[in-house]
Amino acid sequence: MTETEKEIVVIDVCGQICPSSLLTALREINQRKNELRDGKLQLDIITDNHDSINRIAEAVSNMGYQVSLADQGKQFRISICKTDGAIQK
Amino acid sequence: MPNQPVIIIISLLLGLCSGVIMHRSDFCIAGMFRDLFLFRSSPLLRSLLLLITISMLLFEAARLIGLLNYQLPSSLYGLPSLANLFGGVLFGVGMVLAGGCAVGTLYKLGSGNGSAFFALSGLIAGSTIFAEFHPAWKQFSASTRLADVATLPQLLSLPKPLTILPLVTIFSILLIFWQRQGMMKRPSIVKGYLQPRTAAVMLAGIVFFSFALIGMPLGLTTSYAKIGAFLENLAAPEHFATLEYFHAQGFRYYSPLAHHTLSAGAGPAWDGLSLAQFPLIIGIVGGSAASAILMGKFHISLKLPKAQIISALLGGLLMGAAARMAPSCNVWHLLGGLPLLSLQSILFTLGLLPGAWCGSKLLTRFVLKA
Repeated sequence: MTETEKEIVVIDVCGQICPSSLLTALREINQRKNELRDGKLQLDIITDNHDSINRIAEAVSNMGYQVSLADQGKQFRISICKTDGAIQK
Repeated sequence: MPNQPVIIIISLLLGLCSGVIMHRSDFCIAGMFRDLFLFRSSPLLRSLLLLITISMLLFEAARLIGLLNYQLPSSLYGLPSLANLFGGVLFGVGMVLAGGCAVGTLYKLGSGNGSAFFALSGLIAGSTIFAEFHPAWKQFSASTRLADVATLPQLLSLPKPLTILPLVTIFSILLIFWQRQGMMKRPSIVKGYLQPRTAAVMLAGIVFFSFALIGMPLGLTTSYAKIGAFLENLAAPEHFATLEYFHAQGFRYYSPLAHHTLSAGAGPAWDGLSLAQFPLIIGIVGGSAASAILMGKFHISLKLPKAQIISALLGGLLMGAAARMAPSCNVWHLLGGLPLLSLQSILFTLGLLPGAWCGSKLLTRFVLKA
């Protein structure tokens, strides 16, 4: 599987009730863990909540995934993919 | 009232500072209690304990040197009853469903958060509805008195420093242990993030200044009732005239800046509470908005799933009513009353725990399906 064929799923949780970002991220990861592990999927969470970013990064790294944060002006984009996969911007 | 402009400006400044600090550190008290049950780990709750411990020391030291020796507000030193406990339970459920507490809602609103807007509307509605059942609740509160003293030292018949000292020692040992384990620091990849432990120290300072200068700890929720009362008086003046709660002036506190005791109530009049609370509220929202703008992160987001809008409104409603029943909100009790070992505040906090547990269950069952 080459990186260009990777599907990117974007979920926007800005303005939602806490802890929506973390719960949404965990739910999506659990539902699609096979695709994530196989490197077929990258999950991008768009959020504006600082603490959620810290918690998602912590929880998702502990689960063995790679996390990267991009500052996108008004919001942050947290990208989650398998450990050795390349994050696509 | 003498020195009104000074009181207003100081309250506004305290609010502005709190807004910036809370926004940068995401100091969400509702989240601290919720995560204890939802994720069985609440790193931010440790910072809250730090805040309370510092305040205990500061308040007691100030009292011993005669700085905080004036008469404290009646709702901090009122007699404990089951009303405080039940108020705490209901408040706990409400703050979790709303996604923020009485003050969390404000700093979230300042940064443009959509759910906070609905939570605040709920808070105002809930505080107003309380007036309908206030007489019955007053009776319940009087008939379920649990003690005829107001504070833990009085209950134990111990001098205040002797009750404070063991508690501060135990909390300090815990905090030092966590600090050494690296558990007081939150790993963060966000630029401009303020560590919650630093925020806790700063907020303890703010509550102390509020106590020393304004005469009471940070409080907000009576003003939510005032806004509701103002609107109800416009919409249904005849019914409004029958509501005893909005016509009483039962709250008294000594204002060091005005040099005398000010009285206040939940009615729409400009009084000793509006003077301090409205500038504080405006300050917190404004401070948080300024902080978000400086970070380039101010962003109004109102697109919310229906279930979350209902949850925020309903949570706000419960919180608003509970804050009148308790009486007072979590910020008043946790940051002001607990460090003073007020029995009312201790009961309120004990109630928050089962309340937050229940709120977490409701939230994951109906609103955010995990």
